[in-house]
Amino acid sequence: MEIPVKVLKIADGIKTMRIRGAGKIARAAAEALKIAALEYSGSRDEKSFKRYMARVADLLISTRPTAVSLPNAVYYVMYRLLTTEDRFDELRNTVIRATEQFIQESIDAVRKIGEIGAKRIPDNAVVLTHCHSTAAVSVITTAYRMGKIRKVYSTETRPFFQGRITMRHLLEAGVPAVQIPDSAVRYIMHEVDQVVVGADTIASNGAVVNKVGTSQVALAAHEARIRVFVAAETYKFSPSTAIGELVPIEFRSPEEIVPKEWMEKYKGIEVLNPSFDVTPPEYIDAIITELGVIPPQAAILVLLDRFGWALSKLKQGELGKIVFEETLEE
Amino acid sequence: MSSFEEALARNGYSIGLTSSEYTLEFIEYLAKNTATTRNYKDLAILFKNAVRKLELERPASAQVYNLLRDIGLIISEGAEDQVDFETTKNNIIDALDIWRNRVIKECEETAVIASHRLVNGDVVLTHSRSICVLKTIENAMKQGKRLEFYVPESRPGMEGLATAIKLNEMGFKVRLIVDSAVRFFMKNITKVLVGAEAVAVNGAVVSKVGTSLISLIANEARVRVFVVAPTSKFSIETLFGELVELPEGDWRRLMTPDILAKLPENYRARVPIYDVTPPNYIDGIATEHGLFAPQALPVILKEIYGSWPPKAPSIEEVLEKIDSIIG
Repeated sequence: MEIPVKVLKIADGIKTMRIRGAGKIARAAAEALKIAALEYSGSRDEKSFKRYMARVADLLISTRPTAVSLPNAVYYVMYRLLTTEDRFDELRNTVIRATEQFIQESIDAVRKIGEIGAKRIPDNAVVLTHCHSTAAVSVITTAYRMGKIRKVYSTETRPFFQGRITMRHLLEAGVPAVQIPDSAVRYIMHEVDQVVVGADTIASNGAVVNKVGTSQVALAAHEARIRVFVAAETYKFSPSTAIGELVPIEFRSPEEIVPKEWMEKYKGIEVLNPSFDVTPPEYIDAIITELGVIPPQAAILVLLDRFGWALSKLKQGELGKIVFEETLEE
Repeated sequence: MSSFEEALARNGYSIGLTSSEYTLEFIEYLAKNTATTRNYKDLAILFKNAVRKLELERPASAQVYNLLRDIGLIISEGAEDQVDFETTKNNIIDALDIWRNRVIKECEETAVIASHRLVNGDVVLTHSRSICVLKTIENAMKQGKRLEFYVPESRPGMEGLATAIKLNEMGFKVRLIVDSAVRFFMKNITKVLVGAEAVAVNGAVVSKVGTSLISLIANEARVRVFVVAPTSKFSIETLFGELVELPEGDWRRLMTPDILAKLPENYRARVPIYDVTPPNYIDGIATEHGLFAPQALPVILKEIYGSWPPKAPSIEEVLEKIDSIIG
């Protein structure tokens, strides 16, 4: 049976970055799997349904090869499907339940991270955050409601100025926030009590891949003996790094930094725009997940707990990723 | 301004004067206003205004403090020794001429010395915009050295863009990056070269904000950091325990009002202009007298002033003497 149009639309949305942000991508993928299961009208036998879902899973994963939340959402659902032996109706229900559960857990995660992280913020704290992270903002605003936050410094975060989004969220929640340029991080660090940032991907050794600049914020904090907390949902942990895969760093368009006309006029100047950098685990004091606080070096614990099945599959494969259609052939 | 420069300006692109350029402009300001003075009182008022102007515009500029100290002493000593006014006036004009040449000459001599530290194949990161750094690179080019550059935007102001353009015109391979990407690229870099607004007596360097972060990152990666700073940028004030005053700006340094209008009403920004790089992150300060460890600054000051501590009054002391002229 053909993959439903609604599913293809979501896949396209993820591919073209109309759907963006790790959490939104993961929930969109889960939603797409749910729709695929609901709209399945092929032969009502167990094997055909599994094969069909495997094709949908592979399609979704292929849309953003570097995203981590996306395959993790798919693993979450497919693990439950592939390890269930039952009648077709039950299998379909398994998929629908798993997708709904994933979406709910993902939404709850931000709130839980906020509650857990806020406890770690000392009283009367000045917090510094980089870029915009829903999880980090959740920690800060929760701590603010507990009366713990005196002030927040938010970096502009060039080239895209995500710091302005952070400012909006913080100010709307009543948090006294002040913007600084990215270059002023070390200058301001002596006033800061705590650094809280989000994460894009967490590697199996506890290294944190996040918006470029995070690693130098963490370095400046480390120099000043200021603690650095990373707020991250468990679906940010990357199973493929456990088998030695590197996290690819995307270079985005130079036009985010200077206008096209500028580049045309100064053709000889190469404008480089890496999106992310890697903060080594030794500069991170704790990662706050919805399951609890863990030291970064214990990241593998989360991976085994949440994606143990995917890890064992990845170890068998050679591509560093799971191809679900092939998995079925075994 | 072309349309794309306007687009950049909306998000804070605004090329300010370098430290040396500001000093040269200040010399012209003093020359112009000295010409219209008629007596010691006029000179005293001019001097007080000049100190106020500096405190308002660029309180971190050690070079202009040093310039003003020289001029203030000519005025106060002239009045004290009852030197004829016209003679004193001419002495000031002469002193300004000497300073005009000194700023350029010291910068050039410093650049020659600093250029010797660059070697063929170096990949250099330089921050913001500095005349003495550009002269250093010109010298290295004349010596036939093959160099490549990384330049951060250097917000606020984004003077890095102007530096990138200049280096590219000189024929070098240049890569422009955002300030946040310095640590990402540090593994590709072999040397960091920066200018200075002031050098404190302990060897700490006041420079464009971001310099201290870059130096920290370089230190972590064991990349050497060199500062190009003629001795006229050494802050005598810090010898007397003064801190170099670091001015800050607000949102105006980051955007135009139309961008601000789209942000929340209570949006607030703190925009430091300079920061302080501690001496332990600096491998060498190049001066016209040679290249030395930042902590060796007292040795050089002794060389220049002939004694330690230098027999130079603080600007406050000069101001007191000037006040007594006005009476």
